[in-house]
Amino acid sequence: MGERGPVIECSDVTMRFARTLALDGASAVFSPGEIHAVVGENGAGKSTLLKLAAGSLAPTSGSVAVGGERLRPATPAEAARRRVLMVHQHFMLVGAFTALENLMLGNEPVQQGGVLNEARARREVTALAEKTGLTVPFDTVADALGVGDKQRLEILRVLYRGALAILLDEPTAVLTPLEADELYKVLRSLADEGRTVVIVTHRLDEVVRFADRVTVMRRGRTVLTRPLDRASNAASTEDLTRAIMGREPPPPFSPPDVESDAKMAIEIRALGFQDAAGVTRLRDITMSVRAGEIVGIAGVEGNGQRELVHAIAGLLPSCSGSIAVAGEPLPFDADEARAIAARRSVVRVVHEDRHTEGLLLDATVADNLVLGQLGTVSRDHEAEVVSRRVKSFGIVPADPSRLAGELSGGNQQKIVVARALDAFLSKGTQPGCAVVISQPTRGVDVGAAAAIHEAIGKAAAAGLGVLIVSADLAELRQLCHRLLVIRKGEIVAEFAPSASEETIGRAMLGAEAA
Amino acid sequence: MNATLRRFKQPALVAVIAIAGLWLVFNLIAFAFAEAPLATLARAWGGTWGTPYGIGQVLFKATPLIFTGYAFHIAQRAGLFNIGAEGQLAAASLCGGAFAAQLPASTPMPLALLSALLVGAIVGALVALPPAVMRARLGVHEVITAIMMNRIVDVLVPFTVATVLGASSLRTADVVSGATLPRLDKVFVSLSGSAASAAFPLAVALVVALYFWLGRSRPGREMQWIGKSAEACRAEGISVRNRLILAMLLSGAFAGLGMSATVLGYKGYFEVGLGSGAGFAGIAVALLGRGHPIGIVLAALFFGTLEQAGLAINARVPKEAMTVLEAVAIVLVSAAGRVSISNTEQPANSASNEGDSSKSEAQGGGPDGPEKGSTRQSPKTKPDTEFAEVTPS
Repeated sequence: MGERGPVIECSDVTMRFARTLALDGASAVFSPGEIHAVVGENGAGKSTLLKLAAGSLAPTSGSVAVGGERLRPATPAEAARRRVLMVHQHFMLVGAFTALENLMLGNEPVQQGGVLNEARARREVTALAEKTGLTVPFDTVADALGVGDKQRLEILRVLYRGALAILLDEPTAVLTPLEADELYKVLRSLADEGRTVVIVTHRLDEVVRFADRVTVMRRGRTVLTRPLDRASNAASTEDLTRAIMGREPPPPFSPPDVESDAKMAIEIRALGFQDAAGVTRLRDITMSVRAGEIVGIAGVEGNGQRELVHAIAGLLPSCSGSIAVAGEPLPFDADEARAIAARRSVVRVVHEDRHTEGLLLDATVADNLVLGQLGTVSRDHEAEVVSRRVKSFGIVPADPSRLAGELSGGNQQKIVVARALDAFLSKGTQPGCAVVISQPTRGVDVGAAAAIHEAIGKAAAAGLGVLIVSADLAELRQLCHRLLVIRKGEIVAEFAPSASEETIGRAMLGAEAA
Repeated sequence: MNATLRRFKQPALVAVIAIAGLWLVFNLIAFAFAEAPLATLARAWGGTWGTPYGIGQVLFKATPLIFTGYAFHIAQRAGLFNIGAEGQLAAASLCGGAFAAQLPASTPMPLALLSALLVGAIVGALVALPPAVMRARLGVHEVITAIMMNRIVDVLVPFTVATVLGASSLRTADVVSGATLPRLDKVFVSLSGSAASAAFPLAVALVVALYFWLGRSRPGREMQWIGKSAEACRAEGISVRNRLILAMLLSGAFAGLGMSATVLGYKGYFEVGLGSGAGFAGIAVALLGRGHPIGIVLAALFFGTLEQAGLAINARVPKEAMTVLEAVAIVLVSAAGRVSISNTEQPANSASNEGDSSKSEAQGGGPDGPEKGSTRQSPKTKPDTEFAEVTPS
């Protein structure tokens, strides 16, 4: 392909969803011939920026230009006409169609009389596959393909549609490192041919290894764009980590002291777990949390944190190894309700995604505050318990009859934290019980975050062992007595909170392997 | 204040649209049969609410619909779609009727009646059991299995009546006198001649009782929470499985109790086909009743009225006209109230990519509003605003 990809220029774009500002005056220029990585925290606006460039969304203000001309109308069809195509984060394949049929879909070569010319499609696609090295078994139905094949199929599809600019939204999130490396090899050859390649990713090691240019996004803004010098890997990773995480220092919080003879709260031995697909999610995790201690689990998302929390919560009956809290081994039971009931008196868990695993958005705040606790909170005391929880955690508005979905994210988070902590805090607990809080302040404003941190501190002071899982390193360093780093389902390192973010970040990313 | 206003505005709007549409269609039907609409309406009125006998007949027709409508509603609260009320009611009617016929003639009234009702409820629940267990344990969709159960009952009922009970006339023997529900005309003499029985007040009382049970008891509340988000309930240790089974069984039992109106309160025996159609009509009643017990009772009365009105006008305009009106009412109300009905479904976590990504990518840095919706459903349908920075005043 002699043609060069278009320059895509987003200037001062703002994107507003109802009351939420996803992009706030972001600007970026994606040029042909290079791999341009876009990085940032969850919710920084990376995917939104990509969707604007691909015409999937129209900016609230600002402009998107493709090849020097404004993208108008801002539709995927118009972007495709200008040869800009996007590979979405989730596969967009028809499961029952073969790979070849998926490739043809929407771009079918037709012979006379409107009959599909499958032979021609096969010829063209085979040639394309050979040229790019993107081999896919064409006659296998999409459902039967592995994720690597599916990902290659998606890329082949946009190429078959004539893409000169390819936008990829976290294509490597589902790939194994080896598959990811191969994918980058393909992207490299596409860029070398003069195509425009933009990739959103969470994995910084990939960025420093493969990208030519990087844009860092934070809170809807593009805070940094610069070419990458492959000679100085380490320095780049540190800079990027700083740029991505850079934020106002949170209000001071210091964890209460741990008594030197404090007993064990959580003891995990040789915890392992394989998911239904046979992928090892947790490998030989052995760790402990003492009463009054706050221990943080740091790691790039998707490295086993969710499974670890689920195992402690009793939602992972098929895991191996043992977990004990306050000296009692926790039972695993295929009947999750029974397993949870059995551990409720010693351990409470706040799950990472409050919207799916924490709250009933269209039930009242009162119902949400006692969700799952009707067995322990008697009907006579329920109103009293609810109003105590609203008051002591400062839930605003202080009206338990409001629907949970009407509250701000911070107040929603206070509900789930209150539900987990209050039973321990109000009764005065025997030391050695534990709470596990996943993403305590994700998407939560500063004020609510401070309130939640304070509650965590109180819990530790009351003698609870606290395990915090967070994607936010700054938060962990501030909250915890000890930091454990989890990567690929294993605890790979332990740090004191005084360790630098760069050091911890490198352990999280495993960038030293590069 | 605005929100309160809107809460009342919407149902009012639905009602206005539905009534206007119904009137329009009614006129068209009347014209088609060369009848004056007003005169036809007058005839329909005379056959229903215009006379005490008509009122009694409306109550009689409405009673099974209250049972099946609320049965559907119970399952719906837990996020289940019980399409099997038809089979549950038929099986319950047969077994309840046959049981009540076998009782010794001297059985005292409370014992005979209660045991007959109990048999009806248990059989209704038993028919709902396979779909319930398959849904809760294996994840098989209850609509498929409940439809299969309907077909099975459909065949088994005549078979049982003809062979096991050996009745050539496709009916069971008369139930013992103690098991019959008294007609309402014993108390309200003017209803004389109508088939309305004590089953009607029984239905209303049971609906009210169950309404409070659903709202206040632990199993009832947990069932409804599961209907809002099974995932969150699972994570908080509620036994989703057991509660789903309970909801389906209760629904089946309630549908089965519909036999009180037909077998115990009207015929005094079961015959094949008695009460058929009430199960499916119950779904429409529940949808029309908008998930509220009063709404469901009113919707059942509305359907009962149309059924009875159809008989009243049958000489001039075929009674099927009223069936058409029923259908029109359902279409209009579902269309106008679509938003509100979607409210009782599972939270929209299955959001497609775009809604999904706007959710995960939305980030603070600006918006000042709370995560607040002006109506009940808005928190789910609007893009997520969880990154809002400032709490409401």
